[in-house]
Amino acid sequence: MSSNHPLIRVTNLDLYFGVFHALKSVSVDFHAGEFVGLVGDNGAGKTTLIRVLCGIYAPSNGEVHFDGKRVTNFHPKLAIDQGIETIQQAVGLCDNLSIARNFYLGREPVKRILGIPFLDFNKMRDKSTRVIRTFGLRDNVSADDEVEQLSGGERQTVKIGRAVEFKNRVLIMDEPTNHLSVREREHVNELAIQLKEQGLLVIYITHDISQVHKLADRIVIMENGEKIEDTQADAMSLEELEAVIRHGGRTVEKDHMH
Amino acid sequence: MAAFETRTVAMPTIRKLARGSGVGAIAGVVAMLVAFTLIDFSGWWTIQTLSNVMHFASILALLAMGQALVIISKEIDLSVGSVYGLSGVTFISMQADLGVGGAMIAALIVATLCGLVQALAVVKGGLPSMIVTLGGLFAFRGIIYVWTGGSVRGFPEEARMHWLTRMFGGELFGIEAAFFWMLLVLAVLSLVLWATPFGNRLLATGGDAESAATRGVRTDRVKMGAFVMCSILAGCAGIVTLADQPQTHVTLGELLELESIAAAVIGGCLLSGGRGSLVGAVIGAFIVVSFRYELIALGAPSSWFITFVGIVLIIAVVFNQWLARWAGHNV
Repeated sequence: MSSNHPLIRVTNLDLYFGVFHALKSVSVDFHAGEFVGLVGDNGAGKTTLIRVLCGIYAPSNGEVHFDGKRVTNFHPKLAIDQGIETIQQAVGLCDNLSIARNFYLGREPVKRILGIPFLDFNKMRDKSTRVIRTFGLRDNVSADDEVEQLSGGERQTVKIGRAVEFKNRVLIMDEPTNHLSVREREHVNELAIQLKEQGLLVIYITHDISQVHKLADRIVIMENGEKIEDTQADAMSLEELEAVIRHGGRTVEKDHMH
Repeated sequence: MAAFETRTVAMPTIRKLARGSGVGAIAGVVAMLVAFTLIDFSGWWTIQTLSNVMHFASILALLAMGQALVIISKEIDLSVGSVYGLSGVTFISMQADLGVGGAMIAALIVATLCGLVQALAVVKGGLPSMIVTLGGLFAFRGIIYVWTGGSVRGFPEEARMHWLTRMFGGELFGIEAAFFWMLLVLAVLSLVLWATPFGNRLLATGGDAESAATRGVRTDRVKMGAFVMCSILAGCAGIVTLADQPQTHVTLGELLELESIAAAVIGGCLLSGGRGSLVGAVIGAFIVVSFRYELIALGAPSSWFITFVGIVLIIAVVFNQWLARWAGHNV
């Protein structure tokens, strides 16, 4: 499934916030077409790690390679331009704008009249309408509706649709199913699996261990800013997984030794 | 299924209309004109009154539109009255050395610099705009005092008759020139706000800066753009004022920052950011200036004006909030 050449290679990554050592020499590879679950307790460094990958934080030490090339500049715009999309529960859509305006925010299609770039409203509306229909938004939602009228699941659907439409290569989902109804959660997870099958790298952060154990090909566990476990999902039972998170990786190894 | 359908489809047309910002201001102006017509003792509907109202409302509208852009970006600019004063004084004072055209350019450069310095302090320094622009309010006014020594010259006769002076001041086709300039700015800025990528990013930055940033929007640059545009508009308003009456005083523009905020807020700009209307700001300016003239016409002491603006402002905020909630906005 995964090629030898990793799409994202993180090597000995350190990140300090002042004196706080948020990421401690983290090394991890991510491959195209892989569904990686990233788990660990609050404050383990999961979100910090993906914020480096999506350009919000620049690492203090260490290297990030994307598609074989070393990343030297970290900025959200650069990450988006290279096809790395992040889907978070609370951010990503502006409530006061329509779905169509949100869809193209930051890379608006324009029609030039006398050299002045005007928004290409027809293109914005047509494309975003097609995408929200494909991804199963109810029929009475129009691309011109403001996002504040959407439910939590509908918002996630719009974000995922947007990520796919822009031919992304990496989809990072940070707690994408929090506060969603059961049906909405299943819908979002189905979409994530579909994207993996289309060859995207999906990195899925969650506290829901049983959910990610079912979905993921590989599971990476973090604790206190360190990677403590990196395993194929089917190589570990759900109980073992929970034990590692509960006790920390090294403790479990010691237990095995005795 | 039925439960899902209630939210968007069942929304009545009138509620959908109310979702647009600025609707409150239109309702307000209608109510005001009806009231003025009913209680009018001394001729509200006269050419002289309307012409004065139109002239000063147009000038305030230039400031209010700039203020609206800043408020939409979820910031505030308290310095516009001083920027207006400093630009106006620059225009008058530099005319002797640079001519009318040169003085106009100098005034606009001064305004641009005022906006730029404050914008940098806000977005790069991470300081609250209310404090930075309060500093600007005092600092730019102080520069006027130091520079002029307390008195400002007027234009000589030839500068008054200069074609540029007459183009921005005086009348065109029997209507105050300021009105045409205001309409032009309104048309251009409305297009910029609603139909360009910059406008989309400005609305996004004000509505939810964090989300906008995750889409790669440079929210710092967007806010700087809003501040600089606001200052340039204040400078334009100063030029238009003095092209019409080319003599002034060091207090030029005092309290205009509050009137411009009042006009923008009456016009439907929400201080929570991301929502507002330039047409609304223009109507808000018309309401504020109209109250001043109606009070004069009614023979009330001019000091009552500020009290009335305050009352109208509070009513407008309450009404606009209620209207926004009724229309289904999360504000």
